[in-house]
Amino acid sequence: MVLEIKNVNKVYPNGTHALRGVSFDVKEGEFLVIIGLSGSGKSTMLRCINRLHDVSTGEIMFEGKDITKLRGKDMRQVRSRIGMIFQHFNLVPRKSVMTNVLSGTLSRTGIFKSICGIYSEEDKKKARDYIKIVGLEGKENHRADNLSGGQQQRVAIARALMQNPKVLLADEPVASLDPATSHSVMQYLKKVNEELGVTVICNLHFLSLVREYSSRVVALKAGNLIYEGQPHDIDENWFQTIYGEEAVEVTIN
Amino acid sequence: MNTTTQQTTSDIPNPNDFLSVKVKRHFSALAIDIALWSYTVLVSWKVIYEKVIMNMRYPKFFWTQPLTAFVIGAVIALALYMTSLSCGRAFTKLMKRDENKPVLKEPFSFFIIAIVILTFISGIYISQVSLHEFLSDSGLTGARRIFTALFNPNFAILEQATFAAIETIYMAFIATAVALPMAFIIAFFAARNLMSESKVTLAVYNIVRFFLNVSRSIEPLVWAIIFSVWVGIGPFAGMLALCLHSVSSLSKLYSEQIENISDGPIEAITATGAHPIQVIWYGVVPQIVLPYLSFTIYRWDINVRMATVIGLVGGGGIGTMLMQYQGLAKWNEVGMLVIIIAAIVWLMDWLSSRIRESIK
Repeated sequence: MVLEIKNVNKVYPNGTHALRGVSFDVKEGEFLVIIGLSGSGKSTMLRCINRLHDVSTGEIMFEGKDITKLRGKDMRQVRSRIGMIFQHFNLVPRKSVMTNVLSGTLSRTGIFKSICGIYSEEDKKKARDYIKIVGLEGKENHRADNLSGGQQQRVAIARALMQNPKVLLADEPVASLDPATSHSVMQYLKKVNEELGVTVICNLHFLSLVREYSSRVVALKAGNLIYEGQPHDIDENWFQTIYGEEAVEVTIN
Repeated sequence: MNTTTQQTTSDIPNPNDFLSVKVKRHFSALAIDIALWSYTVLVSWKVIYEKVIMNMRYPKFFWTQPLTAFVIGAVIALALYMTSLSCGRAFTKLMKRDENKPVLKEPFSFFIIAIVILTFISGIYISQVSLHEFLSDSGLTGARRIFTALFNPNFAILEQATFAAIETIYMAFIATAVALPMAFIIAFFAARNLMSESKVTLAVYNIVRFFLNVSRSIEPLVWAIIFSVWVGIGPFAGMLALCLHSVSSLSKLYSEQIENISDGPIEAITATGAHPIQVIWYGVVPQIVLPYLSFTIYRWDINVRMATVIGLVGGGGIGTMLMQYQGLAKWNEVGMLVIIIAAIVWLMDWLSSRIRESIK
């Protein structure tokens, strides 16, 4: 087990109960997809795993150790082993693709060195390699905010890979992309999962994408874990339990 | 943005909170009514009755008078609180109004208009407005004399005035340049989104904000007087005054810029396991550099204009020169200085807007 989520509750300061006793395991090397409506707790779940949010109660075991109480350097150490990509890519605007990708190495670069922009030759070579892997060779010096959405998300994947992550979290990585680009980004994630052996946990909306890319699915509804199983086992009934009576499945090709 | 989960159940107000909100609103409504009525009573009595009607030149003042006005005002406010004359209930939306009726036809609007008229009349009396003085023969002769002199500038002092103007511009530039790095650092401590992590940082935020607000609310002119006693009359005192005021204004502008940046990059850099200082350098700084530059140039522009005013109290530069010639009633020289000041202000205005335009 890479990750064991044990009875996690999350209550926001404003009283919103975002996660209610969620427990599930993440196996090494799998492509786990979390589905559920907006507001079901998917994003909160991912952010609790890399400590962008703190859990209220419960434990998250990463490689056998509880990470929910870690502080300072120990917490940053864990974060650096868990990469993350976002719906809105969250690249640093006005900076080059190379700088953005290199920012994935910040946890192991000294503060002074990183402020001066000094990176090791090894990291620079690695950055160029990853930029190549996500198919953006030759765009190293382009400004990140001038790229298309799909390209920006690929830069974000390269940035996350620079961390040498054990786990990659993807928070609705294709929700602001068009269908064709969505598939391209999902394929890169699949490649990262299969060829580099990184465990992927991905929030998704479209069931067609879930069936095509995931190896296992969990579903959240109003903060409760209501389904855990294989992607092709989600039938009409489950679909309506997860998304509500009136929901109609939309496919993306 | 990404944490859509936050919006699920929190929209329904707690019934207990709702009650206390209503009570609070009644309190503020009553406070507004009492303040307005006390003001009306006090002004009608002290200005309209004593000055305008009784024509008393120096009416006696006792501290019991505003107190009496307050008591009478409070009584009237309480008596009329539930009527449609209550402005407090109207402002706090406690009054049920007919939506189709124009606001100006409501009784409370008449009350407001009455207060404005009262204030206007008092203002005219207090500022001693007099058309007679403005249009008297001797007055007009004086005006003619000074305008003739102003429009015949003495070009003999052009060289001297230009040097003084250059002194002013450099003084403003140094004030801005010294203020910039200080404001840059202070701004991070004055940005709510960066400082709301814990109680300690929030306390620092509040203290920094407090000092910024205090130093900003004291005009540079007053600072110049303080510093001219401290370091002696001259450009250095003026520069210190401008610098201090620039630090507090720039810190505020910068910190507001920091508060407006998008959280995405910050979240992403944090997620890589970066140290908080790295998060600021990679997630915050790239988003603020250009707006900062724009603010700073604008501030330089403001400082040049302010430096002229500061010169009037001995802050050096062209302002001091203007003060000296004005004191000697040499109006032709003053005319020359006015032309140069206008030219500089116009030039700086144009230059700074052009630069700001080009770096957008």
